[in-house]
Amino acid sequence: MIQDILVSGLISSSVYALLAIGFSLIFGVARIVNIAHTAFYMLGAYLFYSLLVQLGINFAIAGLLAVAGVTALSLACYKLIIEPLREHESAVLISTIALAILFQELMLLFYGGHYLGIPSTMDGAVSIAGVSIAYQRFVILVVAFVMLAATWYLLNHTRLGLAIRATANDLEVANLMGMNVHHVALATVAFSAALAAIAGVVVAPVFVVDPYMWLGPLVTMLAIVVLGGLGSVKGSVIGAFIIGFVEAITVFAVPSGAFLKGAVALSIMVAVLLLRPQGLYGVVFEEER
Amino acid sequence: MYRLRRLWVQLRTEVLVLPSRALVLAWALVLLALPLAYTDAYVLRILTLMCLFAIFAASWDLLAGYSGQVNFGHALFFGAGAYASALLTLKLGMPPWLTVFAGTAVAALLGVAVGALCLRLRGSYLSLATLAFPLIAIGLLFAFPDFSGGELGFSGLPRLINGVVPNYYLAVVTMLVLVFSLWLLADSKFGLVLHAIRDDEVAARASGINTPRYKVMVFAIAAACAGLAGGLLAHYMRVTGPFTLETALSFQVVIWGIFGGVATIYGPVVAVFILYPVTEWFGGFQAFGERRLLLFGVIVLLVLLYMPRGLAPWVRDRIETLCPRCKQRSAAWKSHCRHCSAALAPTDRPRASGPGQA
Amino acid sequence: MLRALLLIAALAAAPVVHAQGTIKIAVLGPMAFVQGQHHWMGAEMARDEINKAGGIAVGGRKMMLELVRADTNEILSVPDASSAVERVITRDKVDYIVGGFRTEAVLAMQEVAMDHKKLFLGVGAAHDELGMRVERDHNRYKYWFRVSPTKATDLGRTIFGVLGAVAGSIRTELKAETPKVAIVAEKAVWTEGLVKAAQANLPKMKMEVVGLWQPSAVATDVTAELSAIERAGADIVFTFVSGPVGIALGRQMGERNMKAVAFGINVEAQKDEFWGAAAGKANFVSTLDTYSEIEITPKTIAWVRAFRDRFKVSPAYTAATYDAIMLIRTAIEQAKSTKSDDLVPVLEKISYVGNGAVIEFDKRHDPIWGPGKAMGIGVQWQDGKKVAFWPPQVKGVQPFRLPSR
Repeated sequence: MIQDILVSGLISSSVYALLAIGFSLIFGVARIVNIAHTAFYMLGAYLFYSLLVQLGINFAIAGLLAVAGVTALSLACYKLIIEPLREHESAVLISTIALAILFQELMLLFYGGHYLGIPSTMDGAVSIAGVSIAYQRFVILVVAFVMLAATWYLLNHTRLGLAIRATANDLEVANLMGMNVHHVALATVAFSAALAAIAGVVVAPVFVVDPYMWLGPLVTMLAIVVLGGLGSVKGSVIGAFIIGFVEAITVFAVPSGAFLKGAVALSIMVAVLLLRPQGLYGVVFEEER
Repeated sequence: MYRLRRLWVQLRTEVLVLPSRALVLAWALVLLALPLAYTDAYVLRILTLMCLFAIFAASWDLLAGYSGQVNFGHALFFGAGAYASALLTLKLGMPPWLTVFAGTAVAALLGVAVGALCLRLRGSYLSLATLAFPLIAIGLLFAFPDFSGGELGFSGLPRLINGVVPNYYLAVVTMLVLVFSLWLLADSKFGLVLHAIRDDEVAARASGINTPRYKVMVFAIAAACAGLAGGLLAHYMRVTGPFTLETALSFQVVIWGIFGGVATIYGPVVAVFILYPVTEWFGGFQAFGERRLLLFGVIVLLVLLYMPRGLAPWVRDRIETLCPRCKQRSAAWKSHCRHCSAALAPTDRPRASGPGQA
Repeated sequence: MLRALLLIAALAAAPVVHAQGTIKIAVLGPMAFVQGQHHWMGAEMARDEINKAGGIAVGGRKMMLELVRADTNEILSVPDASSAVERVITRDKVDYIVGGFRTEAVLAMQEVAMDHKKLFLGVGAAHDELGMRVERDHNRYKYWFRVSPTKATDLGRTIFGVLGAVAGSIRTELKAETPKVAIVAEKAVWTEGLVKAAQANLPKMKMEVVGLWQPSAVATDVTAELSAIERAGADIVFTFVSGPVGIALGRQMGERNMKAVAFGINVEAQKDEFWGAAAGKANFVSTLDTYSEIEITPKTIAWVRAFRDRFKVSPAYTAATYDAIMLIRTAIEQAKSTKSDDLVPVLEKISYVGNGAVIEFDKRHDPIWGPGKAMGIGVQWQDGKKVAFWPPQVKGVQPFRLPSR
């Protein structure tokens, strides 16, 4: 049972971490609560489906194209809708909700309301310590950890990462130091949308693809990000692992309470917030006094 | 006779001088007079639902717009009112006229609880934490289906009154009274304090305002209104269920509030009266795959690009001018302020804000 | 000028004259989803068949049938669903209503239809409460009839019958005297009675219950549950699922090469799209269903073939709108009236041979359950095809298959 919890907890945590980091980065750099973040995850899955199943493209190329397509779309959305509204915080908020709804409806229109399945990119399963894990799940784990490492490298060892961290720390000072915060914001949006799309692409062959698949992860992701502290990448990763393992433990310890895993995770988030209103690693922003 | 004359004078000096108020009065009169001329049950049904959602949206605005506590889980109170009222009528056999108010009270208590829990949370933390509450509530409903009816909720609730037109009037009158009261409240000293808290809580506290009390109080008031709307909807439709608590409904109310214009009270009402019928009407078109939310999303995005502060404030700025001296509003075509007769420069009105400019 | 005006007036009046010669039936369902689409397809078949034959005979006059399609949006919004009923009744002035899918929404839709005293033939929602209302307050709710599926309690009766057959093949093939059963039920009220019944009945049927797992209906990942089930050594995974969790279950069982076979109610597995949605992994998944190319009634095979020829998909259970409309036609012709009030007593006594069942209504206006009446069938996915394996001794059924060990 402990091995089961470890394996399934690890897999879901790493997917959550991919989603949460992107959200955190956008919030940190641009102060956008991006409700449409998981919609990009959904779009990644749908685009991958179209390329792989409908057009029959090789899965690696299809995956890359899907991620690239979603990234381009996210940039277009940012340029056309979010940037003109940047001064109006609440307008940005509901435009991201409206975007998510719009994407959901478009997918319903194009693909219909039924569930789609994507064939595994590799078949078979491996048994480790008595737990059988399908290769496809290994792919999730590997891709997620590679991406987490890449994010860490980008943030800590590149000029762009430095700019992102600086802007997240203090937008005005970063601007005064001569950084082009608009470009930094654009790069962050593209990067985090790409992370969401990657999560969508690797998860699609395991889960079911449907137009409402963005809602469930959205709530979990928000819980994680709040738990870890808004805008903190480290907090997001740790939050993802807490929530992922809490969900796994709920399912295994109380089998007839598996449906409660979401509610339990949210309750933990609320409990942490009550003790630490800024989350585990949240920064108290001066301007949000 | 004297009273009548006084009323007329008040009407002329307070309402008819301002185009926006005159518009609101006309709209209220049309709503009240409509069933005399037109009794299509379908239209009246949609209007009834719109009125109930308008109460819900306006209550969100008091909380989010005025006190700055942007609640992402407002459906919690809507659902609480609906469920409490349904439980009391069905399990204890109480008359619905009583239970609707009991539901309101339950919602208000929940409002106090949530408000108190969220006292230490700021900004986005508060929004995202409140998102969790209705979802936890849904989890509990599913965990105790014998008590809550699980995913089916309750059905066969008694109506408050029978008939299409009486139900319509019940909703319209409740909506007008409640929205007007909320507007008065927001315009009072209470509303001013809320403004102060939203703009700078520390400064407000330094000025001797008991900010936690106000923050919890506004949560309770908003929750009570939402609960009443939920209870009325449940008895009108004769069913209640987890649909009253869903995230989609919470998001819907956020969209109504911001689309209409925050911190106005009437803005969200306008938004409901525009967006709800449009979505309902659009749902009938097979050409668009009967996707009623599609147009909804497009309209919201397009309108926001041109009116980022919301629909109602945009319209108000077109038809009225703010006096630079006494900050009172006058009709846009007046050359002098109606209160202090300061000259109103025609260019003085807030500039139009379109894409690309703030 | 005067002539032109007269002509316009005549044209304006024409549809009104025409409308007197038609009967309007509203087809209500979630039109963006498979259920609603099949509501509409079934209804279209009935309409075309009736109108080709010249319409419905009402006391010597032939009336044509006109369908009104209305999306209820019921998957997302219960208020929208009840508004849709109000719209078709007061705006489109329909005479009868068929359809409805999600019980939560149908409970609200029923109220509106009853307010207007319109005949409402339910096709899709299974909850007992819908019929219990008729029994409790006949005067108000008598306009409601459920055509398909049978009420939830009766679904339970069928399911234990089929489970007995499944357990039988496990006993003979695996020489296991007491097969181990893992119950997987989505957390919902409709599964509750069934789960309790399963826990009580299975030991009596010489089966061992090894556990109960209750994922959420919209869960897309059940690996955690499946690992635990595998560990418990289950032979049968007894499912009560209606949401996408049914797809995840079938697919992930296949991917893990599980030895256990899934049987129960799995609404997603009833659809043709299931095989693709589970990426071809859901071999041996079985479920209760309504239609297949077997001789449930003399009409079934021909109708299922005609449906498939026309729409390139096999009918889902909501396509029973066909039977609902044919029931209305039969009732109208017998009653020689189109008034809902005149049709109710006729429907209460009717015996109608439909495509998936022989329909007779009980005092709750539910179809009477039993062999030779309404009972349902058991189907299994075998190498990409959905084949019927139950009831036995019906022309066209094939044997139940188990995963190889």
